[in-house]
Amino acid sequence: MIAEPAVNLSAELRRLLGPDRVLDAHSDLAVFECDAFVIEKHCPSVAVFPQTANEVAAIVKLCNERGVPFVPRGAGTSLAGGGLPVGGGVMIVLTRMREILEVNLRDRYAIVEPGVVNAWLNKRLAGTGFHYAPDPSSQGACTIGGNCATNAGGPHTLKYGVTVNHVLGVEIVTAEGEIVQVGGPVEDSPGPDLVGTIVGGEGTLGIVTKIWVRLTPNPQGVRTMLGIFESVDDATQAISGIIGAGIIPAALEMMDQGILVAVEEAFHFGFPLDAEAILLIEVDGIEVGLDAQRDRVAEICRQNNAREVRFAADAKERLQLWKCRKQAFGAIGRLSPSYCTQDGVVPRTKLPHILQRIRAIGAKYDLRIVNVFHAGDGNLHPILLFDERNAGEIERVLAASGEILNECLECGGSVTGEHGIGLEKLNFMNRMFTDDDLDVMTRLRDALNPGGLLSPGKLLPTAGACGMEQIHPGRRAAL
Amino acid sequence: MATVTTSQTPDLASSPSPVEVAESIRAAYDASRAVYPVGGGTALNYGNSPTQPGEQLDLTGLNRIVDYTPRDMTILVEAGVRMTDLAAALAAEGQHLPIDVPRASEATLGGVVATNWSGPRRYGHGTIRDYVIGIHAVDGRGVAFKGGGRVVKNVAGYDFCKLLTGSLGTLGVITQLALKVKPLPESTGTVVAACADVATAGILLDRLATLPVPPVAIDYLLGPNWQVPTTTRSRQAEIGPQTPHLVIRFEGTETETAWLADQIQTELQQAGGMSVALLAPIDAAALWKRQIEFADRGAGDAPENSPMVIKVAVPPSAVTKLVAQLVAFDPDCSIQAHAASGIVIARFAKFGHSDITPVLVGKLRPAAAKLGGSLVVISGTLDGLTPHLIWGGRTDAIVLMENIKRKFDPRNILNPGRFVY
Repeated sequence: MIAEPAVNLSAELRRLLGPDRVLDAHSDLAVFECDAFVIEKHCPSVAVFPQTANEVAAIVKLCNERGVPFVPRGAGTSLAGGGLPVGGGVMIVLTRMREILEVNLRDRYAIVEPGVVNAWLNKRLAGTGFHYAPDPSSQGACTIGGNCATNAGGPHTLKYGVTVNHVLGVEIVTAEGEIVQVGGPVEDSPGPDLVGTIVGGEGTLGIVTKIWVRLTPNPQGVRTMLGIFESVDDATQAISGIIGAGIIPAALEMMDQGILVAVEEAFHFGFPLDAEAILLIEVDGIEVGLDAQRDRVAEICRQNNAREVRFAADAKERLQLWKCRKQAFGAIGRLSPSYCTQDGVVPRTKLPHILQRIRAIGAKYDLRIVNVFHAGDGNLHPILLFDERNAGEIERVLAASGEILNECLECGGSVTGEHGIGLEKLNFMNRMFTDDDLDVMTRLRDALNPGGLLSPGKLLPTAGACGMEQIHPGRRAAL
Repeated sequence: MATVTTSQTPDLASSPSPVEVAESIRAAYDASRAVYPVGGGTALNYGNSPTQPGEQLDLTGLNRIVDYTPRDMTILVEAGVRMTDLAAALAAEGQHLPIDVPRASEATLGGVVATNWSGPRRYGHGTIRDYVIGIHAVDGRGVAFKGGGRVVKNVAGYDFCKLLTGSLGTLGVITQLALKVKPLPESTGTVVAACADVATAGILLDRLATLPVPPVAIDYLLGPNWQVPTTTRSRQAEIGPQTPHLVIRFEGTETETAWLADQIQTELQQAGGMSVALLAPIDAAALWKRQIEFADRGAGDAPENSPMVIKVAVPPSAVTKLVAQLVAFDPDCSIQAHAASGIVIARFAKFGHSDITPVLVGKLRPAAAKLGGSLVVISGTLDGLTPHLIWGGRTDAIVLMENIKRKFDPRNILNPGRFVY
């Protein structure tokens, strides 16, 4: 057999996709060297922009033939480095697969391509009486394909569940380049729940090329309120009280004083700047029962020493409140040049304890830490503020982050509620899981990703891969 | 057919621990001997019969409630806990796991997860996959492993909670489960309506599907199993064999259910429903029990040997058409459709071997598959059904499952033959 001449991979990819949908100049690739996890950077050798599952399959097959690693990417909003091309290779950018293929209200599903931005779907659904429930804060940018990879959450997941609870089926291109449909518009596919396994697989079990999502009827009514508390403890006790009373709000978010100041400066909502914490609480459901539910929540807040409970008077005020919450991260720019967001989870009853610990850890490392998070789920997002121009600050941020996450584990929680392990939290995996657990996880990955070329170095710690603590930023994160 | 010895090792049955389960599977792995995990034994007819000699692994001794923090709304239990025991523990704190399971005093939680069992309230409350937040299991090498944890939101590592849901004991033997639970509703209500014909039922179901406030269950009932003795004077007596009935269950506060009762009755009347009525609580409870038990035993108290019980999954909009097909084949079949979820359970009165090829394989399964759905045999008295007849053909997705099976159970000792592999 005559040896095949060494063929340039980019040239072959151009033959598959045409000249415009393949980038390999370093200047073109710089934008793909990191996602929203900015501490580590890896540049792909080439980035491709397929428009169909067949093209994705052809790319994957080519990568397999060449033994080149490949990684899918959506909008690049991963906070855990989920989209980083560790070890280079081909980055398969799915943002040009952005059609909403079908909306079926009678059977309550929609079919979307992976590059459809989360908010586009709800825009399309406006006026139908239905919506797509998972609402990560980045929903204006992040793609539903990426949401599937991370099993993304959001404020309203407290009542409505996370992404996996709303995905009925996926079409994937397997690691070997086969197109396979798992699940679909109809419930109850026989056998193990592969859909639920692939969703949250962080792109290591297949590349999602089509998604059947569940549509949820819009609630008939909604009541949004703000509980203002003198102390963080009181606020967390109120959260525990609300859940303990058997009320499941649609959303229950907490912002502490640190973030309030920034938000107030940005949006001038009139928050009292001396309050230690506020709770943004929303109840929804049948109009006829809502006032009673709202009053009950307000009563629990007052029993827990709320200084004041404000009700959003109308849809406009409600939107403004949510704007504050969803754009809180944007307001952080007013506080410091850089920040690092963590994503720990604790049992809800441990919230008062963990927030005290976070404060202590901040003091220990001389770092300012502010909190804005999904309190009802126990899903924390402590934000560690820093300025990378100051020597040693990144190291302190990483050390404090590690300590906070370890504290979450001590409380019986998790190191990630919705952002994923990605690259960032690899070194926590063996603290959460035994060698046997990780061995069985590796077996699952090997079953669906036998060559290991798909998204290498993610989710599972392997020899050669490094976690957050080992990372030495090679250059400055550009925030 | 291969025989199965049901020799539970005494100490394993009396006081097993997850460690002992792992040891016993490890021993079976070393000997390449099949292991058949059994909980309450209520779903042993589901899927194929065992294909290899082996041992039954009784998990009902794993019945401890390990930890329950009501204010977190999570509970950690061993997999052999009976569903009624679990329900009682939760109810004491005003909470519940809203998964409807027949013979709940026997059925175990692990079995419910392994079979992915569900009932009428799946429409409003989802299925068991939506509640499992942590899982411990033992793979086919005797290796104990876990996934998830104790918190309601967690994306660390692969989600074994999902992978083992519906895996029928073929990928791992479940030993412990962490669940998120819900507050018990203050009040429930049930509205029934008769439909002149299948077409009317379709119109009513369309109407219910777009209600801004969904009920928790919309069942569509038809056939002799739903007939009750004529001496019963309650409203329930009118659910007869010939007339399709819709049974709508809703939950909420007293205020909410009162509003929903009015609203749903009005909707149904406007859409052409007949004899629309709110059931008295005692009648609703009696009917509800039968709605939960139907898939397992038909009419009610005594087991009823239908030759063929199937579950067909189709888009909700196709339910009435499918029901018409089923009735055309067997006018005496009894049907319960969780209509808004597209799940149709049919208990045939007559179904012989000669019907398998033309009806099951030739007609019903292709009809479901064409709509993106599936058909599985839940139970029956016909022997000699092959895996393909019970579960359907080999799809690309099943090829992926086989790849996983080989990694989790390399010697094929976990429930061999129960599923398609």
